[in-house]
Amino acid sequence: MEIMHKLASHLKTRLVELNRAKQQGRKIVGYTPGGYLPEELILASGAIPICLIRGGDHSVVELTGAYLCRWIDTFCRAQIGYAVSGDDPYYSIVDLLAIPITDNHIRAISDITDHSTDIEVFPFGVPHMKEESTFSYYLHGITRLKAKLEALTGTEITKPKLREAISLCNRERELFREISLMRKSGPVPISSRDFVALNHASFLADKEVMVEILESLYKELKGRIALPDGHPRILLTGSTLAMGDSRVLDLIDEAGGEVVIEEFAEGIRPYWENVNPDGDLMKALAECYFMQRVPPAWFRPGNERRDFLIKLAKDFNVDGVIWYQLMYRESYKTESYYFPDKLKRDTGLRMLTVESDYDPSEMGPLRTRIETFIETIRGKRHG
Amino acid sequence: MIVAGVDIGAATAKAVILSDDKVLSSSVIPTGYSVVMAAEAVTKEALLRSGLSMSQLEYIVSTGYGRRAVSFANKALTEIICHAAGVSSLMPQARTIVDIGGQDSKVIGLDADGNVSNFVMNDKCAAGTGRFLEVMAGVLGVEISEMGAISLLGKEPCQITSTCTVFAESEMVSLRAEGKSRENILAGINKALVHRIAIMGQSVGFREKVAFTGGVAKNIGIRKALEDGIGLKIWVPEEPQIIGALGAAILAKTELASLTQIR
Repeated sequence: MEIMHKLASHLKTRLVELNRAKQQGRKIVGYTPGGYLPEELILASGAIPICLIRGGDHSVVELTGAYLCRWIDTFCRAQIGYAVSGDDPYYSIVDLLAIPITDNHIRAISDITDHSTDIEVFPFGVPHMKEESTFSYYLHGITRLKAKLEALTGTEITKPKLREAISLCNRERELFREISLMRKSGPVPISSRDFVALNHASFLADKEVMVEILESLYKELKGRIALPDGHPRILLTGSTLAMGDSRVLDLIDEAGGEVVIEEFAEGIRPYWENVNPDGDLMKALAECYFMQRVPPAWFRPGNERRDFLIKLAKDFNVDGVIWYQLMYRESYKTESYYFPDKLKRDTGLRMLTVESDYDPSEMGPLRTRIETFIETIRGKRHG
Repeated sequence: MIVAGVDIGAATAKAVILSDDKVLSSSVIPTGYSVVMAAEAVTKEALLRSGLSMSQLEYIVSTGYGRRAVSFANKALTEIICHAAGVSSLMPQARTIVDIGGQDSKVIGLDADGNVSNFVMNDKCAAGTGRFLEVMAGVLGVEISEMGAISLLGKEPCQITSTCTVFAESEMVSLRAEGKSRENILAGINKALVHRIAIMGQSVGFREKVAFTGGVAKNIGIRKALEDGIGLKIWVPEEPQIIGALGAAILAKTELASLTQIR
């Protein structure tokens, strides 16, 4: 696809662009993935948002052994490795790192980055339940962030600016949603690898360029007639799908499976809901980013996410679910034990759980698990 | 039709040659450092035993962790799929398979048709595998083949708390220093290994009949400990080590049959 090339070349020059913008006095604000950081605020302050989404590399995970206990989530250990080692140029370029603290693992990124690097860190808490008091708490957090961004950039975040940013981000979410929905049934016009690549790119790319690319891709895909393939359709879900961590997607592909929908706490931009551009915009942001967001596995009660997964499995007409969790994300581990029963009861589908520490030696067993799972689905379909 | 199943495991390579439903021959050799060489050698040995040549094999399925290195195979299938096929052909009533090999252990759930319905595998660590037993045999100066029989004499199994092979090894050393008998230490080792399998298999569940396969199933002490540990009778095929290769050969037959049908 030509559009994917265009995107790749945009990303190639992105760091140079960011450096230039920085020299001209623009601020660059990094944040951790998880879907709890309204990019609209960063955009409206005139700063450039960058989501730190790299992962999949075991060597940086190992680097953190000296100052972290082992049982911190692999992706979070990797982030700390990048930050402290200075290996990731995106980490070195940020003027501020905003971190919505979603759980103890993300908290570790905040604490260690604050302690061990020159990067200024701005943490704020994300509650684990949805009710009036937690809504106010979250709203308070992003309101503090707004003030922080205004102080950093010296620019007031006015209502018109914020509304403009909301409308741009809404368009991005809409396009992701429309493209994703094209995979609901029948032949799939876009592979999961491309869809995930788009998602990851959207965390680093210039927002306007990204929306432009998505617009033209959407038009192209609508006109495309995909060939029917008959591969087992897979719902891929889990804790984190980082940029550079393509192993599970590759193995599913090699085994002959087709991922048709992805649902992750971190790594896939939440695109199901839009921000209401009318009325109190800060409240509207909190409404969309906190209240309407399908919560990750560490929320309680966990039924909202479980019900959503069932709905996705049905809506996207899948043949099986692959649950990909990273080592030591205990909330996912626990849910992975309880969820298969509900899945079986509600849909008759089976689930495979795979786990990774980004360790290359996991490759063999990972391949065996995924091949077996895809093979059993195929066997079942053919009776 | 004459077909073969070749199972390249971490410790041993296995081959089974099948003529329709009859097993013509089988062979087991150590895998060694080259999986490619092991695959060839084990197949040749099985061929030699049945008086056949490579060109007479109409279809070959490879399995085991080295399945992709078997260049002469027509198809590679995972050992989980092959164990299910192998066990179901011998014991159609089996609903659970406990497979303990040289480097990994698995619990496989089967549906009424003998197809895989669910499975779990150990992680990269050697705990709960044949390798664990091998290391312990080395520390205690016992032949692997004798381990089972000796362990049955241990009436008061020592408690072994470490599931990690490396830690268990040092635990062994201290137990020896405390003067515990070899019998009781071995009985304790069996208990520890089975405990791990029982926990691992919980998400699949143990349902009768339970088949026990893999090289470790030859160990009579582990068999006994497994029955005690999961509270169910187990069934062990005559040659538990070649079940993966047998399943691969059976699936080779199925593949060949469906190909012939298409033609």
